[in-house]
Amino acid sequence: MSDTNTSQMIHVREKKSIYMHWFNAGIRLLLLLTGFGIISGELVRVVPAFWPTFMQGLFGGNENLILIHSILAMIWIGVFVLFIILNFTNIVWPFLKKVLVLTPSSAIRDLKSMSINLLQLFGLMKNVPIAPQGRYNGAQRLLGTMLIFCSIVLAFTGLYLFFGPQFLNFSENPLYGAIFRWFLVAHVSCVFLVITGVIAHIYFAIIEEPECLEAMKSGNISVDFIKHHNVLWYDELKQEGKV
Amino acid sequence: MTKKYVMLADTVRCINCKACVVACRAEWETPMGYTRDWVKEVEWVQNDQPKVMLFPGRCQHCDDAPCIEACPSGAAYKRADGLVLQDNCICSGCELCVPACPYEARWLNPVTNTISKCTFCQPRIDKGLEPACVQTCVGRALIFGDMNDQESEVSKLLKEKEWVRLTTDEVNIGPNHYYYTAGEALPDEVMPKLHDRHLSGKTMEIVNPIGAIAIGGMLLTFLGAGVMKLIGRRNEVSTSENQEEK
Repeated sequence: MSDTNTSQMIHVREKKSIYMHWFNAGIRLLLLLTGFGIISGELVRVVPAFWPTFMQGLFGGNENLILIHSILAMIWIGVFVLFIILNFTNIVWPFLKKVLVLTPSSAIRDLKSMSINLLQLFGLMKNVPIAPQGRYNGAQRLLGTMLIFCSIVLAFTGLYLFFGPQFLNFSENPLYGAIFRWFLVAHVSCVFLVITGVIAHIYFAIIEEPECLEAMKSGNISVDFIKHHNVLWYDELKQEGKV
Repeated sequence: MTKKYVMLADTVRCINCKACVVACRAEWETPMGYTRDWVKEVEWVQNDQPKVMLFPGRCQHCDDAPCIEACPSGAAYKRADGLVLQDNCICSGCELCVPACPYEARWLNPVTNTISKCTFCQPRIDKGLEPACVQTCVGRALIFGDMNDQESEVSKLLKEKEWVRLTTDEVNIGPNHYYYTAGEALPDEVMPKLHDRHLSGKTMEIVNPIGAIAIGGMLLTFLGAGVMKLIGRRNEVSTSENQEEK
């Protein structure tokens, strides 16, 4: 290890992955702003009541706002589907293999490392070692899995919420309405989950690990950072002769 | 002064001719088997004498309309003049508002695939006309108008007679529909009742506060972490400065 130049920068992210990340972030922000503008009753009230009034006024009524929200969502879904089809083997599949938490044992392991990580932010468990992490650490893997799951749910439920009332006669079959109501619950629940996850994501990117934010702009990250935070990944890169 | 529309129903004058129902159905072209207004007939025996009371009913245009709270898209809304209206362009027909109404005034229209309800004939009253049911009522049992206008017929009648509203201890949401019963007690059959909401609606009532608390909790947690980071950084700097001074 001593013979390795750890101060070097290494290119770890392709340009199209970076563009996709920022496209995803931007469009989700717009979906959030328009989505909270659509919800008008007290049934779902996270933002103050002035927000839907302001947004609906800005777009000339809730009908237009719903349409804008839906068009944005369909652009988001369309671009993602296209990206997945075109980059499945070289980007998407390797990413999924690394990030998805699918077994209880890996979930427990990631939860443990995430908990220690969070407690250390508050000066607790300072001396408890965190198990060596791969390219994505426990918190990133849990967040990634949650975001992927929620995104799929948001896309499917959103499509039904928009197209269901247009193409299905709800009075013909009570199931159509019941599905709508449950999909609304699922849609809103996933929005809440995504927001809570993204708060942590933004905090870590800006405050704790700005190197990661830089990597999401230039695609480069220092080998030192990888060696310190992602030991297993460092070993992998070393084996591949990239560092 | 802002208008405040109310409907008065004199149950003594109602003869159950159902002209109001026919007029409403004609005005709004409601599908077969569906109507936005009705006349409820309540019969009972008092001192061996059969008695009947007739209650013309419709949306009560409540001040605290629970249908508006239940509607997720804002399709159900209240106008400044007190009318509770339904925007068909936004309504998805999800029916979350249907069990929310304790007067059973909302239903899913199988033709439009949206929720239908009495609007006090809003397009007619905006043109200065009376609601179709009021115009057609042969016994003048239905009277409609602006209660904030002291010269209006409804204002005068409200002062002249003792009117009651269909409210209970459990359901008191400010209905704007008044009834005159000539002192007869209101029968239980016409009183508003709380209905079982859809399970999905109840779930949403749990999800919403949990979501709000989770988001608030996360914001506070990471705000706290940021402050800790700032304090730690300040301590680091002052320690290194002290060392340099030494």
